[in-house]
Formats: sequence, C-alpha cells, structure tokens
Amino acid sequence: MKVLIIEDGKQLAESMVQYLQREGYQCEVAETMEDGLERVMLHDYDCILLDITLPDGNGLTILEKLKETGKMEGVIIISAKDSLDDRIKGLKLGADDYLAKPFHLPELGARVEALIRRKNFQGSNKVVFNELTIDVPAQVVSVNGNHLSLTRKEYDLLLFLISNKGRVISKNAIAEHLSGDMADMLDNLGFVYAHVKNLKKKLSESGCKDYIKTIYGFGYQWEI
Amino acid sequence: MGDMSKKLLNKTLRVYILFSLIVLIISAPLFYFITERLFIEDADETLFLHQKEFFTNNLPSLKEEDIGLWNKVSRDVKVEQPTSFLKRDSVFYRFYLDTLANENEPYRVLLSPVTIEGKPYTFMARANLIETEDLITSIAILFFLTLTLLFTGLFFITRRLSFKLWQPFYTTLDQVEQFELDKNIKPNFVQPDVEEFDRLNQSINRLLEKNLSVYKNQKEFIENAAHELQTPLAVFQAKLDVLVQQIPLTNELGNTLSQLNEAVSRLSRINKNLLLLSKIENEQYATVEIVSVNDIVKKQVMFITEQAEDKKVVVKAESIEPIMTSANITLLEIAISNLLLNALRHNHMNGQIMVKLHQNTLTISNTGTPSALATEKLFRRFSHPGSEGGNGLGLAIVKKICDLHGWTIRYVYQNEMHIFQLVF
Repeated sequence: MKVLIIEDGKQLAESMVQYLQREGYQCEVAETMEDGLERVMLHDYDCILLDITLPDGNGLTILEKLKETGKMEGVIIISAKDSLDDRIKGLKLGADDYLAKPFHLPELGARVEALIRRKNFQGSNKVVFNELTIDVPAQVVSVNGNHLSLTRKEYDLLLFLISNKGRVISKNAIAEHLSGDMADMLDNLGFVYAHVKNLKKKLSESGCKDYIKTIYGFGYQWEI
Repeated sequence: MGDMSKKLLNKTLRVYILFSLIVLIISAPLFYFITERLFIEDADETLFLHQKEFFTNNLPSLKEEDIGLWNKVSRDVKVEQPTSFLKRDSVFYRFYLDTLANENEPYRVLLSPVTIEGKPYTFMARANLIETEDLITSIAILFFLTLTLLFTGLFFITRRLSFKLWQPFYTTLDQVEQFELDKNIKPNFVQPDVEEFDRLNQSINRLLEKNLSVYKNQKEFIENAAHELQTPLAVFQAKLDVLVQQIPLTNELGNTLSQLNEAVSRLSRINKNLLLLSKIENEQYATVEIVSVNDIVKKQVMFITEQAEDKKVVVKAESIEPIMTSANITLLEIAISNLLLNALRHNHMNGQIMVKLHQNTLTISNTGTPSALATEKLFRRFSHPGSEGGNGLGLAIVKKICDLHGWTIRYVYQNEMHIFQLVF
C-alpha cells in the first residue's frame, strides 16, 4: 500500500510517516505543490494525504489536476484552516475525507485504513481479526460466526481500536473519535472508560479473546 | 437617557422662560405705577395752571357777592368757605359723587388760601381721574399683551432655531449611538454647515477609525496567532502519538504522558475556540436557515446524558416544545452544547441538569457551587480561569453567537440552581 504525504511541515510529515509505516504502508513525502503534482502524475498511490496550505500554492490545485486526469486516488485533506469553505470545496472536488490540524495519529491511521479498505474491497468490505469479523458497510460484528450486538459507540470504538491494532491509543484520541464535532469542548474522559468496559464485557461474553489492553493512566491498545 | 439629565434644548428654553417670567412679573406693576405717577403729575400741573390763571385773570376783579355766580358757572375751579387750618397750597385725592352717573369718582384736588376783599376764602381746583385710570388700565393690558406676544414669539423662534442649529449634532449623536465596534460599519456623517459640528464629526471620525483599526488589528492578531499555533500543536500531538508507540509504558510514564496529552488537547481546544470566535466575528458563519431548535436540543441532551453518567449527574429534559428559528445551524449547536457542557462541568457528583424548551426560551439549570456566579464577568473571555477544566471561552462563544442572532442570554441563581436562559 502506497501513501503519499503532501505536507510542508517536515516534523509533522515525519511523524505521520513513522506512524503509518508501522501499519505496513509505504510512505512518500512531498513538501511542495510542484513536487506533489509531479509524483501524483508519475505514480499511483492508494491514498494521498494533502495539506491545503503549501508554500508554492493551494493544495486544492492538485485535487483539480487529479480529477482532470481521472486518477481517482483516495485523498484525505489535512488542513490547519478548519474552514467550512475549504472543507466543502475539497469534498466537492472529490476528496474522500477531511481532517483538521491538530489531529491524533490514531485518528489519521483509522481514516487511512478505512479509505483504503473502501477503495480496495468496494462491496464486500470486511475487517477480520482472528475470531472477530466486522462487516463494515452493514456495521455488523460477529465472533466465530455468531452475531454480536453492540451499541453505535461500542462499534465505533471496536473499529477504531482494530484499525490501529498494536498501537497505544490515548483516551483523548478515543474520546475525540467517539464524539466527533462535540469533542472541541470535551474535557471529561470518563465516558471512554465506560465504553471500553462495556465493549470488553460483551466481547468476552461472546467468547472472544480479550485483546484490549489497558495502558494504565494513558489509554488502550489492541494487542496483536 | 436618564430621568436626571435634561435635553439640551429644554435647558436653554427653561432659562429663557424663567427670565421672561421674571421680567413680566417685575415690569408689569412697575410700569403701572410709573404711568400712574406720570398722569398724576400731569394732573397736578394742570391744577396749578388753573390756579395761576385764576390768580392773575380772575382774582383781582372778583367781588365777594360774585362768588356764588362764579361757583355756578365754573365746574372745576371754585371758591369755597375758608378752611381754618389751610395755610398754603395742598394737593390730594378726593371722591366726589357724580350725580349723573350716581357714583363716586376719583379727583385730584388743589386747595389754596385766597383773600377776596380782605376776607379769607379757599380756592379749590379739581381734575377728574376716572378717565386717567381707564387709560392706565388699557395701557397696562396692552403692554402686558405686547410683552407676552414678544416672549412667546421669541420662545418659539428660539426653539425652532436651536432645533435647526443643533440638528447636525443630533444626527451625529444618533449615528454614534448606533455604531458598534464589532459590526465594522462606520457612520457616514453628512457635512454640516456649522464649523464646530464639522470639527466634532471629524474628531469622532478619527476616533472611530483609530478604534476600528485597533480592533481589526487585535482581531487579526488573535486569528493569526491561533492559526500559527495550529502547526506546532499538530507536531506536538503527532510526536506524542509516535512516542508512546516506541517505548514500553510504565505506570508512571503513562501518567506523565497522559497529562502531556491532556495539556496539548486543552491547548488545541483553546486554540480552536479562539479561531471559532474569530470566525464568528468575521461573519464566516453567515449562512442562515430555518432550524428546529427542539431537534438540536434533543440530540445534544442525548450526548450530554452519556457524558454525565460518569459523574452520576441526572439529566432531565422536560417539555421540549417544537420551536423553529432562523439561525446558523453549526453555531446554534455549538451554543447549546457549550451551555450543556458547562452545566455538566461545573456540576458535582450526583447532581442534576434540567433542560426546558418552552415559549421561545431554552432554560438549562444545574446544581453546582452553592453560590451565584459573578454575572458581570460571566460572558467575558478568560474571565474565570480554567477551574474544573473549562477553557474560559465557552460562554464568551455563547454570548457571541447570541449577539450575532439577536438572541438574549441571561444567568440567574435560584433555589440553589445555576440557570442559563437563552431567549430566541
């Protein structure tokens, strides 16, 4: 899986590469629009992470070029300008997702994974982990073929953890993932604990191994 | 305008009326007495003239037996029996019965001692004052009327003139009153034909321009600062996320990193909220649509109920009535969720949150600290430094959103509940 990161912030790009490489993605970085455009035209990528404010132009230009040439890579816009206009413009131009800076790397990981899964498997889009199977389009979870009933939040939590399997994920990242737009004002992370506890209980009751490891004081990890 | 302060126009007119009244009150009797005095003097002069005439023309040839005849033909100059105490001329008032009109009429009388054929007599000359009195009264009335007319005329002319003169001042005043710094609309003063008002307008213009530019600079500064902070914050967050993958986390390290994580989360929340405030001020949320307040409230109540479980706070939603209003949906959601999160954040364990949507008013009440909050600072930025995890911007944002939509937000502390009311 090849991922192109078009981002002028060296340090941020470096961290993104570090995090994504562990998931087995091959990452390339372009720091300018020109470099980005060249790479996009020459190679095919499974996913492009695109910053809008680049030193030599607007990242949306790359999006326009991609659309013109019919290269339908999955594009996630990453922007410090969390403006509604940019978001709408980007999505209209064919971007698949939008992530505002600053973000948690697990959030980025989950989005990239979801995007690639969607692109590659289209109709039958399933996440399988040992005895656990998640049918993403249908939002159905089964353990050893038996249906497991989860609440909306528990389902989101499970998918988020598995998408970042093997990674330590902070409570903050989980809280923000689960509460979406409301996360901006959030300062109480107690509800994360409650959801994790419920999910763990349901999984173990259905005969699934306990993969969710508590990293004391920090967060959780889906053990491989 | 307070009851204590008077209008400029009334102030001048008040002084004017007072002055006119004083002049009228003092001058009317004064005028009357002076005129009367003049008339009396005139009458006395006439009497003395008659006396002189009589003494030079008639007295030398007048015989004692002719006195009766003289008195018969002469109406106002007579010779009478001598009065013993009369030593020299004496002038005084006296009433005589007018037989024709059958009433007493006022006269001015001159008595003087005379000698006719060696015998003492009294010379009497008199002048009727009744017509004089009538005349004085008429003149007084005329005088009074003229003055009144003059004063009322002057009053109205002054009022009209002052009103016209001060008109540019009032226009300026109205415009300055309507001016709001954050609306970014500068008053458009009309050039007045009075130099002083022109100067006033120019001074106000300069003052406003300066204020606007300072305000604009400050706004841009906040916006730019917040934007510039986004990148290092993103780097910080990303490095932290990478760091925790690379080292085995002991409990102690986990705690420290978790606190770091919380601090950076809080930083980015403050930053996002500052950006949000800037965006609201820059009218980047101008799209307005008809939204169902009750739907949003219900959604937010569901969210807060979930959040409240941890603190064992009970969220009660009662009488959520359907209300439609025109608003920017994003901002309305932010306002309601900020209020609800505040109600939870400042609540205590096993507390309560009550949500009510009734008659165009959203009421959110919560238990919490057992004393009222300082109202005057409540809606200001960073006025209540981040106790209990708040970032000091939530209510400032709510206020901004309310101002933008023309809603009112108020706070009361009642029955040990902190109550916020948003009136649509």
